[in-house]
Amino acid sequence: MIPGKYRSVSGRAANNVNCGLHLVIQTSSLPEKSKVEFKLNKETPSFSGRLLQHDLERNYSSRQGDHITLASSSMPSFPILQRSSEEKILYSDRLTLERQKLTVCPIIDGEEHLRLLNFQHNFITRIQNISNLQRLIFLDLYDNQIEEISGLSTLRSLRVLLLGKNRIKKISNLENLKSLDVLDLHGNQITKIENVSHLCDLRVLNLARNLLSHVDNLNGLDSLTELNLRHNQITFVRDVDNLPCLQRLFLSFNNISTFESVCCLADSSSLSDITFDGNPIAQESWYKHTVLQNMTQLRQLDMKRVTEEERRMASVVAKKEEEKKRESHKQSLLKEKKRLTINNVARQWDLQQHRISSIAPNQDGKVSDCPQDPSQLRGSTVSAFPEETGSLDSGLTSALQGLSVTDTHLVEVDGDTLSLYGSGALESLDRNWSVQTAGMVTTVSFTFIEFDEIVQVLPKLKIKFPNSLHLKFKETNLVMLQQFNALAQLRRVDQLTVDPQGNPVVNFTLWKYYVLFRLSHFSMQKINGTEVTQNDMIMAERLFGILAHVASSELPQYRLISILGDARKKQFRYLLETKGKKPGLVNEENSDSKRLVGENTNRATLNYTTRDFYNARLEEIKEKKKFCKMYMEDLVKEATEINMKNEALQKLWPQMFIELVRDAVIEIRNKSSYMKLCLQQITDQK
Amino acid sequence: MLSPERLALPDYEYLAQRHVLTYMEDAVCQLLENKEDISQYGIARFFTEYFNSVCQGTHILFREFSFIQATPHNRASFLRAFWKCFRTVGKNGDLLTMREYHCLLQLLCPDFPLELTQKAARIVLMDDAMDCLMSFSDFLFAFQIQFYYSEFLESVAAIYQDLLAGKNPNTVIVPTSSSGQHRQRPPLGEASMLEGVEASLFSQCLENLCDRHKYSCPPPALVKEVLSNVQRLTFYGFLVALSKHHGINQALGALPDKGDLMHDPAMDEELERLLAQVPGLVNSAPANPEASCLPSRTPPRVGSPWRPLHHARKVDAESDGSTEETDESET
Repeated sequence: MIPGKYRSVSGRAANNVNCGLHLVIQTSSLPEKSKVEFKLNKETPSFSGRLLQHDLERNYSSRQGDHITLASSSMPSFPILQRSSEEKILYSDRLTLERQKLTVCPIIDGEEHLRLLNFQHNFITRIQNISNLQRLIFLDLYDNQIEEISGLSTLRSLRVLLLGKNRIKKISNLENLKSLDVLDLHGNQITKIENVSHLCDLRVLNLARNLLSHVDNLNGLDSLTELNLRHNQITFVRDVDNLPCLQRLFLSFNNISTFESVCCLADSSSLSDITFDGNPIAQESWYKHTVLQNMTQLRQLDMKRVTEEERRMASVVAKKEEEKKRESHKQSLLKEKKRLTINNVARQWDLQQHRISSIAPNQDGKVSDCPQDPSQLRGSTVSAFPEETGSLDSGLTSALQGLSVTDTHLVEVDGDTLSLYGSGALESLDRNWSVQTAGMVTTVSFTFIEFDEIVQVLPKLKIKFPNSLHLKFKETNLVMLQQFNALAQLRRVDQLTVDPQGNPVVNFTLWKYYVLFRLSHFSMQKINGTEVTQNDMIMAERLFGILAHVASSELPQYRLISILGDARKKQFRYLLETKGKKPGLVNEENSDSKRLVGENTNRATLNYTTRDFYNARLEEIKEKKKFCKMYMEDLVKEATEINMKNEALQKLWPQMFIELVRDAVIEIRNKSSYMKLCLQQITDQK
Repeated sequence: MLSPERLALPDYEYLAQRHVLTYMEDAVCQLLENKEDISQYGIARFFTEYFNSVCQGTHILFREFSFIQATPHNRASFLRAFWKCFRTVGKNGDLLTMREYHCLLQLLCPDFPLELTQKAARIVLMDDAMDCLMSFSDFLFAFQIQFYYSEFLESVAAIYQDLLAGKNPNTVIVPTSSSGQHRQRPPLGEASMLEGVEASLFSQCLENLCDRHKYSCPPPALVKEVLSNVQRLTFYGFLVALSKHHGINQALGALPDKGDLMHDPAMDEELERLLAQVPGLVNSAPANPEASCLPSRTPPRVGSPWRPLHHARKVDAESDGSTEETDESET
């Protein structure tokens, strides 16, 4: 039987082949010859009752059959087929030899106008002896044992060639079959599509159930409408866009796993029907919409109609995926950039800390150049700001190349964390941060920045990021406990993380307790990830409480004021004005001023001034000291002179006194003359 | 006031010996710096406070190193302040590294030089394994010797090196500023067969040194005592002996005896008061820090002069017996 799907495809020849012919085998009675007789039966109702019998003799001399005789030919292997003349007239153009256990093609004599020839379900190994049937349009060799396509070179009118379920290993020898309309090679062992480029009328090509691993070489098949490649091992498909008429493509049960491997399908405007089921690609989550998105001309996918809804969904999903991909690409670029920047900052930090001893000359130049030439610096980058990152894409690739040279710091806001790398990053605190962003930041992380520099921007931090509760320090050169004093000026710190890397202070046994002590007014929750317990607080107080006491109560007033600074000065002055300036009131004033001064005041005098400031202040004082010295020297000189004079006087005084007394006594000795003298003096005065 | 030996000295020398000028200069300098504030409450009061604090030994708190080093009294006050503030650390039993002690020193004096701490640590560790942990008392006593007598120790080091090199001990040695302790070891001679130098020879040299040294020295009698106990000794052995000698500690008068080192009842009381407020600190909201954390005030010792803790004091043989006089002259 001719497979139903070809019925509508082929031309007239197919229509006439509705009948089935039966072959009946009869063995002869002659012992030395086994004769084979075939009967032909019609199966279709329109020809019921009519029987045709063919006798086919297999390797022996001919025998008389009813209608068909197989006479032995001159060549001993091929039987000769003959039909009765009635049959010939009735079915002049078709001949069916189904299931006749044929192992070779018989020689068919006198049937030159045959148009349909059916050899289905036999054991034929080679196509032979049909070269004379030059009018043949339909040749069916389905289910035989043919190993090679051959013997067809004269069949120039052939339109349908069915070679399914054979053992064909290669497509060949089809050169003259230029009118071929249908070529069925399913169920064979074909590994490659070749030698079909001249079949420009071919409309259906069936290569299902073969051993194809890829599809290409499809040019020239200008009429191909249907291509069946089911059940192969195809991993990629090419050249399909060279088939201008291809409408249906069946790729079920192959090995296609990505759309890229079949991307040429997107370029084929004629395709309307495609199947991918049974491929690995069909298991992917993105399968349907990727296919629909890339093949907008599709009407059916996997034998199901593509609805408008599906198409719309597909495009939406595809857009989303595209965006996601772009986004992740951008993210990875940014991450890379960040990593490079941080590396650069780290290297600069190491140089600064004199950890790297050998410096290449060009690097040296770079290092010294960077701070002096800010226009060269790419400056800081901010990520995770959707509105700001749009324009970064174009600049990114070029920036990435120049990255290691120019970037010296990095500022990053990531949800609730503000990360600063490199001392240049501190300038970013001056920027206009949006209230929302700044409000969300609860953690501030400093890396590769000198702590002394951080101290100077802490007031700015307090104002711009009021919710920052957790401070992290890494590679910031924290070396003294004193430096923690600087953190007291912040509003509040809940957590403190000091990374041992680059912060020698962590090696001290007492550092945590000192922090808890100095910053006790913050009621810190965690230090370096560990919870702060009541015992810790008590221990801190126990260790350093006396220091606080000494620092507050044992300092003289003026020291207290000078250390505490301006704000407190004002408060103290106010206090003085209201309380009066009696020296005895030292105690009360002391306590009052403490009450006014906010945080834990008995620690307030424990301050930290950076080394540079300290030295600068000492320099300033030098002038004053010099003046004081000179002043004191003058005073001392005066004092010693006076002292000397005093001592001299002390020495001389007894003598002088005696002389004075003696002079006086001598004067008054002569009373009368003395009286006269006095009176004289009085009159002289007038 | 008019004791004869005072009048025997010329003026400047007298003043210098008592370091009066140093304090006067410093007072005037402080006055200049804080003009506006001090003028508010009167210069007389300022001077009162200033000299009170000098007497109490609180004048050196948070001052620069050059001031702290200026007079023996300053040095002693600094030692005392350090002891007072960080006695609790010692009491806690923590052993700290040299750097950490230095850190603590810096809390009281921001520009305290690392060298001094290192030298002190060397005494404790006998110039070996500088990263070792030291106990509070060991460090404190060694630091006392090193800091208080630093110039003297430099000269001693110079002498020691010379003796090691086998030079004539009777030649006058003028110590240079800091090269004494960094001199190269001389090539191996007889002296290096046995460790250190002969104690008696050393003792003689030190006596000569004490006589003509213008900086403060430990009481010569005590030094002799230290050296009489041994035949030979090394430089650091000598220093360790000095630091552990109770008599010298008492003569200095800054720190209590080793046994009493952790003992300070007044401060302990104060500490208890502070500790009692800690739970309040943790639990209460930061909105009310002042009230909860205000320590109850003990009246500052306005009038009480600074006295060494121990009572049996050696009245004589101190190079600066100024404490007595200030006591009397204060009130």
